[in-house]
Amino acid sequence: MTAYTVYMEQLGPLLAEWSRRMGVFVPVQIQEALYDFVPWSEHEEIAWDYDVAYNSIKRHFFPPRENLIRFDAAACTATPVFEAPDQLLFGVHPYDLKAVNQLDQIMEGGAPDQNYMRRREKTVIFALQPQRVAATAFWGSMGSGHVDIGFDLFWTKISPNAFYVEVGSPRGEELLLACGDLPEATLAEREAARRERTRILAEARGQGLKYPWEETPRLLARNWDSKLWRHKARRCLSCGSCVLVCPTCYCFEVREEMDVDMKGGTRFREWDGCMLPSFALVAGDHNFRGQALERYRHRYFRKGKYIYDKIGELGCVGCGRCVRACTAGIANPMAVYNELWEAEQHES
Amino acid sequence: MAKKPKIAFFDFAGCEGDQLQIANLEETLLDVLGHVEIGEFREVRTGGKGPYDIAFVEGSITMPKDEERLKAIRAESKTLVALGACATIGGINCMKNFLGPGVYRPEVYGDRARWYETYDARPLRAVVPVDAEIHGCPIDRDEFLRVTKELLLGKKPWLPDYPVCVECKMAGNVCRYEFGELCLGIITRAGCKATCVTEGARCWGCRGLAPHANMDAARYVMEDRAGRSRLEVQDLMRMYLGYTSTTL
Ligand code: SF4
Ligand code: SF4
Ligand code: SF4
Ligand code: SF4
Repeated sequence: MTAYTVYMEQLGPLLAEWSRRMGVFVPVQIQEALYDFVPWSEHEEIAWDYDVAYNSIKRHFFPPRENLIRFDAAACTATPVFEAPDQLLFGVHPYDLKAVNQLDQIMEGGAPDQNYMRRREKTVIFALQPQRVAATAFWGSMGSGHVDIGFDLFWTKISPNAFYVEVGSPRGEELLLACGDLPEATLAEREAARRERTRILAEARGQGLKYPWEETPRLLARNWDSKLWRHKARRCLSCGSCVLVCPTCYCFEVREEMDVDMKGGTRFREWDGCMLPSFALVAGDHNFRGQALERYRHRYFRKGKYIYDKIGELGCVGCGRCVRACTAGIANPMAVYNELWEAEQHES
Repeated sequence: MAKKPKIAFFDFAGCEGDQLQIANLEETLLDVLGHVEIGEFREVRTGGKGPYDIAFVEGSITMPKDEERLKAIRAESKTLVALGACATIGGINCMKNFLGPGVYRPEVYGDRARWYETYDARPLRAVVPVDAEIHGCPIDRDEFLRVTKELLLGKKPWLPDYPVCVECKMAGNVCRYEFGELCLGIITRAGCKATCVTEGARCWGCRGLAPHANMDAARYVMEDRAGRSRLEVQDLMRMYLGYTSTTL
């Protein structure tokens, strides 16, 4: 695979050039110890060593609210609405990229989600090797510390002022060389990047599951009736924070609103989630998961079994966002899975 | 639409801030008004008589004689809509309920207390059936427009039944609890786009409790996890949520 060396001072002109072509988003510190992606400008200081972005990047191709159709009620006509701006997400960590790859698979399956796919096609992703592990993260133990696909470029900081940049697509390479040729990386630089990856992976593996992640679906299958669900769900506010912040959650609701002239209107979608009380409510007031316990348990089965049964990987990449977002402190998949696992060790 | 539906606005104990919100809609309002005939509207014009297709009623009920007037409005209105926190949940008027009439009557009316008949504040639905509610203190103008359009179409207005946290996450806000601060978004009905948190404050609960609000869990979050005193939590919850069967 082709790789280049990029020096810090070359970045300014490159970023300026990219932002002439598309919206560029970079991680910055937004408050003490909190980071998020914001539109790049020369005044923004990129947080190369950010631990996790407060908001998941899914909002860039699956916005919280998005128009789908414009309709004319009198003429009975409708036209699809597609908004898909060119954009570059620079600094995406591997676990978040893994979540994007998973979303891609799910949104493409069955009837492909056109609005999502068009936004994705217009999105360039420059991945970034993490330098730190967030206190709430457990991606090292979820098989999410490394990804081979989905990026246009993969950046690893190998010294205070140099990056080892791996090419993932012709589009990425073209953008990288937009301000002129760059030197191809040397073997020593490749080795430096590999060492950096190994270091951070070792650190990340230190916090996480107490068993191999592949066991999770079987662990759950044995624990449908565990007391843990009721015990934890007592504290559940049914607030949906845990699923809304999750980079792999993709549920939405579709609604419509008329214009003020009452002639035409818009159909749009908005984020929804399985932790919300009326998510499984159907005609006749039947609710398949009317109780907090059922919704709570469902989320762990969804993350740890149902998605696995479908595509062979867990629906949780271990980013730790839900751990932080849950004000009740009960939304941590790692803690739940470990607790179930340990309970079994005591029994046997 | 053959005949223009007739709508009217009425108010009880409140600041009329919600009617002001509507009057502030100006041009958009004129578009919607093109589809309706206005009966009473204290902030915009006066006059007009029933019957009404839609009556928007603002304010809470604080005196026995309010009940007669509200029942009369109900009797001549096809659809009755509670407008704003005072009307939908009793709102801040209900703070006095925790004091009891022996305290609040002399406090407000001094030695003339016996001239005024007042009792515990309550929302409209404590007195008459209410068909739709537009929550908030003040109401959200976009929501008012949407609900009005839905009513004109003969639809049951959509009302979120989940807490403010949902909209707060959509907005991408940093949660107040990250800083150990209190926020009632965890139990309050959404619909305002989490505007207070987005503006840097916290949720005060002005849209009332979400239907599935877990009060025990909320107390655990505020007292045990955020470490705030029972009294501080109680004060916050009594501000807007006073009219409830839950002990606050
Ligand atoms: S379940 Fe939680 S830790 Fe797992 S991917 Fe979603 S937000 Fe991240
Ligand atoms: S688990 Fe936590 S974040 Fe998720 S719905 Fe329940 S209280 Fe909210
Ligand atoms: S700031 Fe308030 S509304 Fe927003 S997520 Fe936190 S608790 Fe919920
Ligand atoms: S955030 Fe809370 S207090 Fe503010 S408008 Fe919304 S419901 Fe009312």
